[in-house]
Amino acid sequence: MECVVQGIIETQHVEALEVLLHGLSGVPKERVRVHELCLKSGPNLGVVPSEVRLLCDLAQPTPSWTIRHVGGAMRGAGAEQISVLVRTIVESKASKNVLHYFYTLGYKLDHELLKIGFAFRFHRGAQIIVTVTSTNKMPRLHATDEAVPVTPGIQLVEITAPAAADNYNDVVSAVSAFCEYLAPLLHLSKPGHSTGIVATAGAAAASLMSSGGGKTL
Amino acid sequence: MDAAAAALAAAPAAGVPPPGAAAGEQQAAPRVERLSAGVQQQLNLEGMRARAVGLYKAISRILEDFDVIARTNPSASPKWQDVLGQFSMVSMELFNIVEDIKNVSKVFVVYPRNVNAENATILPVMLSSKLLPEMEVEETTKREQLLSGITNLPVPTQIEKLKVRIDMIGSACETAEKVIAECRKSYGLGTRQGTNLGPTLDKAQAAKIQEQEGLLRAAVNYGEGLRVPGDQRQPQSLPSHLIEVLPLGDGAQNFGDSSGSYPKNTSTFAPNNVNNQGNQVQASGGQLHGRPAPSPGTTGTPNFENVSTPPMPYANSPRSGTNMMNTPSPQQHLTPQQQRQKLMQASQQQQLHAQQLRPSAAGMLAQSALPQLQDLQGQTQQKLQVPGQQQMQYNQALSQQFHNRQMQSGRMQPGMAQSQLNQGTQLRSHLGQFTGAANSAMFSAAQASSNSQMMANIPGSQSLMPQMQYGMAGGHPQRSHPQMLTDQMFGMGATNSSMMGMQQQQQGVYGNMQAGAQNMQQGMVGLQNQTQNPNFTQQRQQNQL
Repeated sequence: MECVVQGIIETQHVEALEVLLHGLSGVPKERVRVHELCLKSGPNLGVVPSEVRLLCDLAQPTPSWTIRHVGGAMRGAGAEQISVLVRTIVESKASKNVLHYFYTLGYKLDHELLKIGFAFRFHRGAQIIVTVTSTNKMPRLHATDEAVPVTPGIQLVEITAPAAADNYNDVVSAVSAFCEYLAPLLHLSKPGHSTGIVATAGAAAASLMSSGGGKTL
Repeated sequence: MDAAAAALAAAPAAGVPPPGAAAGEQQAAPRVERLSAGVQQQLNLEGMRARAVGLYKAISRILEDFDVIARTNPSASPKWQDVLGQFSMVSMELFNIVEDIKNVSKVFVVYPRNVNAENATILPVMLSSKLLPEMEVEETTKREQLLSGITNLPVPTQIEKLKVRIDMIGSACETAEKVIAECRKSYGLGTRQGTNLGPTLDKAQAAKIQEQEGLLRAAVNYGEGLRVPGDQRQPQSLPSHLIEVLPLGDGAQNFGDSSGSYPKNTSTFAPNNVNNQGNQVQASGGQLHGRPAPSPGTTGTPNFENVSTPPMPYANSPRSGTNMMNTPSPQQHLTPQQQRQKLMQASQQQQLHAQQLRPSAAGMLAQSALPQLQDLQGQTQQKLQVPGQQQMQYNQALSQQFHNRQMQSGRMQPGMAQSQLNQGTQLRSHLGQFTGAANSAMFSAAQASSNSQMMANIPGSQSLMPQMQYGMAGGHPQRSHPQMLTDQMFGMGATNSSMMGMQQQQQGVYGNMQAGAQNMQQGMVGLQNQTQNPNFTQQRQQNQL
């Protein structure tokens, strides 16, 4: 299971957000360059199509593949009160043959996208991973070199935290607490809920990007 | 003990304010601070103190008894009944005291929840609401400043004077505020309200951002806007991480919308045969029958006639008819080379889609097309082998097709080139997989069986053999292969009329065959009436099987 929230930030403020995250987390950022292929199962595998995502990490010298299956989100009155989305997730490392394997099983490529950005992994009450990426689409199939951003001026911020069924409450509270630190720059919400941008993000970003020396009034 | 200490602590705490009040009186200010009379009465400090002391004594008495017993007679146990009785009295007394104190507790800003030895000493200070000495001094001096000069007046007058003072101060603040605002404007520093609200987005900008946000979230979470249409799905070049992963060739591209392409590929070949009229079709049919002795071991190219249509349980399923009808194409004159290439391409593509193949037979059919041409004239026996096998394999439905094919092949000229043979091969593909499979199986069986055996199974075939010499090399063997044509004929059931038209152009010899074809169209029942054609005899035998 994982707890996840998403938010958007204007591209011009991404640098300020990086500074803030670096200060909050205390770890150096990691480069993110992931080619995500979303496969949908064919009719031979059942009436209801299932979806599986293959992530190819291109930031490493040798690309590493990960299979990721996103399950259903927690529902109910309790889930609505929680400000983060809790959903089941299954992730596994795989060899490079995984794409061919799924094609052979009957899965078809539904869509693909390329995520380029950075991420911070740290522990603050719970293991938290903050990813800031620009989502790119490819005009031609698998043409990762020709990827163009889907929305040039806006980037996606995603905060995920792995959780288990018995401790997800703690993880949720840890994520919520951390999200408050980011309030000056962006609004965070469950995936699927629009938030808009923070109007005063510019001022916050400016203060973050300032040289840092105390100014005397 | 704790309860007693608490009670004792409460008593002195309440006792503090009155002394404070008394001390206050001694000071210059004429203010007297003490607990209100009502609270004092309710609290009843003296009584409370007496009760607390009594409780304390009772508890200590009990403890003494325990001590005595423990000292004098360690093994003996006290009379528990008496002790419990005394304990209950003590606890009741404590409860009453606490309840009484609770009634006046709201007078105090804070009061202890739990009193024990640690906080018993500090409680009096904490419960006291008296100001600290320095605070008290401060308050008195301020009061002095405020009320200096008017303290001797009656109180309402004092109130009025204080009000006037407040108004004056208020007006002074307002003028100061105005001056500051004007200075801000003149110096361009912005209004106070503006800086407080911060930058706001105008509606257009907000709408644009919301739209972009929707796009982004939909793309990331659901893949909206990222699906490339099928026609653009051929990757020209793969990035490095995919080059070794994806096998080369079109077959590896599995896309969700590629399902529509599959039947198209198969259909392009069928029309070549269906719409071909005249000699080509008939010749091809004849040629097909001319290859009952397929070359052994030819399994290289799978015969796409097996692959082209999905498996049908019966040759008379509607699919077989529609296959023939749906495949018209303008291509009627393909050179053998082109046809073969198309055949190869189709077979490759179809090979990648799961179909039930009978590879050995399929290979045989495809490969045997050419060699059979050469063997056409002389291989009577081989052709006769086929019907023997057919008897074992075909049902009524197939027999119709066989007859249809028979009529087609009537006009076969021995000199027809490979093209006809290939067309025939392609024609067969659309008569249904079952027929193709059956044919291939038939041919495979034909390979294995001996000629003599075949000959024995075909009682009427010998009489037909002389007919071959009439130059209708293709026609005769087809007659002796009623079942081979049957299935194919049935697949072309809808086109029988066209076949009939063609056959009417034929000369003479096949008159009985035409009649047979007509009977075929009416159903298998009519076949039994065809005594003229030995083929029908065979069919009858087969039908009875």
